[in-house]
Amino acid sequence: MSEFLTLVVPMWVVFTLAAQGTILSGRTGVFNVTQEGVMALGASVGFVVAYKMGSNLGGLLIAFAVGALVGLILTVMTTQLRLDQFVVGLALFFAATGAAGLLYREVIGVTMTPPKIDTLTKHEIPLLSDIPVIGEPLFRQDYVFFFVVLLSVGLYWFMQRTGAGLNFRSVGENPKAADSLGINVNLARTWSTIVGSGLVAVAGAYFPLHFTGIYTDGMIAGRGWLVIALAFLGGWRPLYVVAGAAFFAGMDVLGQKAQVIGLGVPHQFIEMLPYVATLLVMVFAFRWARQPAHLGSNYDRESRLAG
Amino acid sequence: MSTVEQTPPTPGSGGPPSAPAPREHGSGAVTGVAWTVLPYVASVVLAFLVGGLLIQAMGYSAVDALEAVLTSSFDSRFGMVETLHKWVPIVLCAYAFAIPLATGKFNIGAEGQLLLGATGGAAIGITFSDLPAILLLPAMLVAGVLAGALWAGIAAVLLVRFRVNEVLSTVLLNFVSFRLIDWVATSVWPDAGAGHPATTPVGDGARLPLIGEAPGLHSGVLLVLALAVFIAVGMRFTPTGFEMRAVGDNPRASLINGVKTSRLAGAGLVIGGGAAGLAGAIDVAGVQGRMLEGMQSNFLILGIIVGLMARGSMLALPFIAFGIAVLEFGAGTMQLVASVPVEMVLVIEALILLFLLLSDIVRNRLRGAA
Repeated sequence: MSEFLTLVVPMWVVFTLAAQGTILSGRTGVFNVTQEGVMALGASVGFVVAYKMGSNLGGLLIAFAVGALVGLILTVMTTQLRLDQFVVGLALFFAATGAAGLLYREVIGVTMTPPKIDTLTKHEIPLLSDIPVIGEPLFRQDYVFFFVVLLSVGLYWFMQRTGAGLNFRSVGENPKAADSLGINVNLARTWSTIVGSGLVAVAGAYFPLHFTGIYTDGMIAGRGWLVIALAFLGGWRPLYVVAGAAFFAGMDVLGQKAQVIGLGVPHQFIEMLPYVATLLVMVFAFRWARQPAHLGSNYDRESRLAG
Repeated sequence: MSTVEQTPPTPGSGGPPSAPAPREHGSGAVTGVAWTVLPYVASVVLAFLVGGLLIQAMGYSAVDALEAVLTSSFDSRFGMVETLHKWVPIVLCAYAFAIPLATGKFNIGAEGQLLLGATGGAAIGITFSDLPAILLLPAMLVAGVLAGALWAGIAAVLLVRFRVNEVLSTVLLNFVSFRLIDWVATSVWPDAGAGHPATTPVGDGARLPLIGEAPGLHSGVLLVLALAVFIAVGMRFTPTGFEMRAVGDNPRASLINGVKTSRLAGAGLVIGGGAAGLAGAIDVAGVQGRMLEGMQSNFLILGIIVGLMARGSMLALPFIAFGIAVLEFGAGTMQLVASVPVEMVLVIEALILLFLLLSDIVRNRLRGAA
């Protein structure tokens, strides 16, 4: 059990981090679909920087900056120029996917054995890490894990417990009303998308920096899309996302361990588990979970239509 | 809770992006065409300019690289045949995206639908390998269409019956399909000698006849050409085509006027899946001769790019697909000649799309000023 948790927790970090980035912009009405590309780009940038500079923290920070840049392009094209969010998102997903491979090939080139970096070191919290079963997986982790825990609590506090958070959420629910109250709709959408996209890229960078130590094309393997499903499932709320991410991470680890588990079923069918489970969960998510009313729609303050 | 809140987010506020820009001021046909074609030309030129600068900045020769990208399809018969062989899956995957888009739905699952179509086709081609071509070939192509349509049908049922966002369901089904075909290629009909997960070859009767001297062009190209005409006419002149476009333009008005909107949206996905499935079956029958892992290449992304660039015009779509096929064949040559990584072409294609989107704003500003 403890062993299983040790595998699940890092994957939980990935899902939580990327999903918090997604709901941050989603709450202001920006439906970001660039995750799959931005995570790949984050992985590529994070690896290349860590490899060249020898600093994993540098890799994470520059991955954040590059992800933020993609978010900036997305937000300028959708809030300022009011282009379709989904279409721009797709185009940026393609561009980011291309750029990820391009950067790696350009800096590293094609090698027989891929270069490897040292993964992040783990820090132990005294006493707590001695708790049986959960102590080892929860309190002996790298700093990204602790950052994600703090981020989730902080986002929850900001969104659900502060006046500024209420204003922030109102932008995604009813931008026209928010605007009439003097809330700057475009500003809220801009910063939330920039920061959110940066967090998504850091989640991508976590793959080479925590799991593998190497970068490979396609290492995100659809998790960027699962993150969007997770945001819907979590009703675009920070704490629900934390819980949902645990489910997604558990499924992910089961899928990865398919060949070891056996069960008499061809391993490919167990590997399908994360995706099939998500599809099933979506049936309920779209029936019960709420989403920001103006998710995915641009705001034109000169339009006479509601919203 | 009202029904509006439960609907999956429809991206954008003003209907799908496929809606062609309205012609204003009763301007002449020539100006109309110019306003339509000019943004494409400008976007392509700008994207190549930016791409060229990037290539130069990376220390390669931009002229050599871009010349290879643009001309290698036309340099030899081999180049043209290969380009047309690439054109087939690209144009079919573009239909897989553009037909559901006409009803306002996004099919991001052409990859999985193509693989299922290839598997369905290969299953018939392997099981009945002794049948003569006159029976086997049509059966195989039909099986491919059905398998692709069935796979998209899962997303359609989830959408119509359970209101599950079709973007997510179609994408997730791609990843399920990768595992499924891996199982087919390693356990059901494995070819141990292939050195890569692949099925055993299909029977000779399941191969599309080749046209002309070697290297031959497979006849699937002609089939898709005929299909392209059929789709362009069908979307423009049949009641179903009209209803599909009406649902995309204004779902509410269509619903009030008695169009079964959600059923039509589901049908759009299924038809799109059939198109992608056909792409898979043709690739098996014409190019690969078997189903193998990775045969989906990057046709999903290319299909979406073409589908978005066509902006709802089923007439323009095959031509745009040809342009993209030229770039894609040229990408390989570029890497050989100028040693620029092939991903550069994907970046250029994404740039063309982004500039094309931006051109709307420029055009509206220009027209507003005029």
